[in-house]
Amino acid sequence: MMDQSLERYSRQILSQHIGEECQKVLMDSNAVVVGCGALGTVSSSYLTRAGIGQIRIIDRDFIEESNLQRQILFDENDIAEGLPKAIAAQRKLRKINNNANIEGVVTDVNYANIEELSKDADIIIDGTDNFETRFLINDFCVKNNIPWIYGACIGSRGLTMNIVPSKTPCLRCVFETMPQMGTFPTCDTAGVIGPIAGIIGSIQATEAIKILAGKYESANKTLIEIDVWDTKVKQIDISELMGLNDCPTCKLHTYKFLEAEDGVMVTLLCGKNAVQVMSRNISNIDLVQLAKRLASISDVSSNEFMLKFKVKDNEFTVFPDGRAIITGTNDLNTAKSLYSKYLGM
Amino acid sequence: MIYLDNAATTFPKPECVYTAMDKFLREKCANPGRAGYRMSVETEQEIVKARVTLAKFLGIKHPERMIFTFNATDALNMGIKGLLCEGDHVITSNLEHSSVSRPLTGLEKHGVITVTRVANSDDGFINADDIRNAIEANTKLIVCTHASNALGTIQPIREIGGVAREKEIMFMVDAAQTTGVCDIDVETQHIDMLAFTGHKGPFGPPGIGGLYVGENVRLQAWREGGTGFEPESLSQPETLPFKLESGTPNSVGIVGLRTGIEFCIKEGTDTIRTHERDLALRLIKGLEADDRFKIYGGRDENEKVGIVSLNIKGLNPGEVAAILDNRFNVAVRPGMHCAPHIHREIGTFPEGTIRVSPGYFNTVNDIEETISGLKAIAESA
Repeated sequence: MMDQSLERYSRQILSQHIGEECQKVLMDSNAVVVGCGALGTVSSSYLTRAGIGQIRIIDRDFIEESNLQRQILFDENDIAEGLPKAIAAQRKLRKINNNANIEGVVTDVNYANIEELSKDADIIIDGTDNFETRFLINDFCVKNNIPWIYGACIGSRGLTMNIVPSKTPCLRCVFETMPQMGTFPTCDTAGVIGPIAGIIGSIQATEAIKILAGKYESANKTLIEIDVWDTKVKQIDISELMGLNDCPTCKLHTYKFLEAEDGVMVTLLCGKNAVQVMSRNISNIDLVQLAKRLASISDVSSNEFMLKFKVKDNEFTVFPDGRAIITGTNDLNTAKSLYSKYLGM
Repeated sequence: MIYLDNAATTFPKPECVYTAMDKFLREKCANPGRAGYRMSVETEQEIVKARVTLAKFLGIKHPERMIFTFNATDALNMGIKGLLCEGDHVITSNLEHSSVSRPLTGLEKHGVITVTRVANSDDGFINADDIRNAIEANTKLIVCTHASNALGTIQPIREIGGVAREKEIMFMVDAAQTTGVCDIDVETQHIDMLAFTGHKGPFGPPGIGGLYVGENVRLQAWREGGTGFEPESLSQPETLPFKLESGTPNSVGIVGLRTGIEFCIKEGTDTIRTHERDLALRLIKGLEADDRFKIYGGRDENEKVGIVSLNIKGLNPGEVAAILDNRFNVAVRPGMHCAPHIHREIGTFPEGTIRVSPGYFNTVNDIEETISGLKAIAESA
């Protein structure tokens, strides 16, 4: 006879993989979801329903109409109320499971606050839209021996893998360096098919449940690549990449993103209601290619020195070394968010 | 030379501090926060990193509330004069350095505030109950030192902070002698304002310090000017840290301070304090049985930093220090240590005491040589 307090979770307890003991472990677990967009809304929804005891959801953005196509926790009322994603998610998830301790935090995750925001985490779920934050999460998790679950989507494709320090390759074993800022497509420039985020976010939630329940033997050890349009699923063996090429993070134990020796630098420009975003590593942006990527969302003008485009109230001036001056804001986090949406970081 | 004046300025600095400052001054020392070129941005990022490091070190939740100042005196003046208004009452102690007592006396003389100075115990401790009993209806601020710079006694700031929090009074701590040496957590110790300097415990250079401004504290900026923030505004911005950080900052000092704090974190403040205190206690042990010496202040190892105040009976402390320097090559500080009130209390006004303050790089041998020197001088008396 099942403990009555567990009735809500009876269907997953009845499954052959999770019994009462595992359920109790889940209820005593702490998950941090970094980024509450397409992936984060899916994974946090399942984790809440599965009874994870404590879930912190961190996101710096406010909900926009174009999010509703795939970010399943949000609705038109949230937009009318002008809610930040983290707060809207907190409200919805508390309605779903009042027993879980759900906390939404509206902030940018960066080297200064990741330790405080994630210090009690048993697992971190990647719901970000940028490599900058992923490399930071990777540094933090490897240093503190916390598993995390990478996830990413664009177009009809999605990727996910588990990073369990000292058991699997880390993010930097697989992606040695951060892609150059401003050189790759994003969901806001290349689009995304909603359900791919549902699939990847669901896999992330499942993997988190396995790892939290202590069922590492059942966890995914590969890099999963799914294309929903071509209906293709690939599992790429990455086991041999572990520590390869003297991985700076998991082999040499240097944490340059955590120590702010690498990554993005954001600065308020004197007197312009403008923020400059640039990378410590100089990018080499092909302005012609960038103009093509942006053509579908904005009028673009460019010359050999710079490229200009405008989205709503924000004008972007992009330079070949990857820096961008974004006008219409003097908030550093907003500028970072805009860069990552339209230029890629 | 045996350098035993670390309570004034720590010397030498860890090698990493010299290296970091040299590298910064050569490679990154542009004007931060005013332009967008790469070196300017890198300079700004170094300052932000230092702010974050210090905030974490001191338990400060919001790094922008960690304000860079020139030193502890600067920070104390900014806090005291920025907070107090006409009619306010302040509680402080007799253990204070002039950097606390003079700004208060100045405001008192001008009729702006009233001040209660609570007495300390004979061995140099403030009692939180005495603070509580001194509270009046218009008490706005309690300000006291974390450790006496004359006696080395560590004060019960958590208890005093508890009283302040309970009575909703601002609590400011002068941590000039304890930052980098004692545990400081502005949250658990209920500190609303914390002033410190970089050139002592944090192993930084002179000319850099800090002021933590708590979330309930509204300060008037007493230094106004260029901030690189809201330049279109004709008046000082309200946003921290800009409000309190006008003018080009001491960026190279900030880098030195950060590197020094990182050294403290790596070595461990407990290790540093224990080493310095044990050397101080060794000096006391070597002299206390000899009745030619008078040693001041409490000796409890749990409530002491590496500071010993002493005198040789019948000898002027200034002369003793000069002989120590001249004949024994030992550098110590004689006099009142900028804390005149406490010398009236312990009966050493106005000549003061000889203050011996060992640092992290001193050795047992340094102390033994100092003991021999002091005994030889006492012999001559």
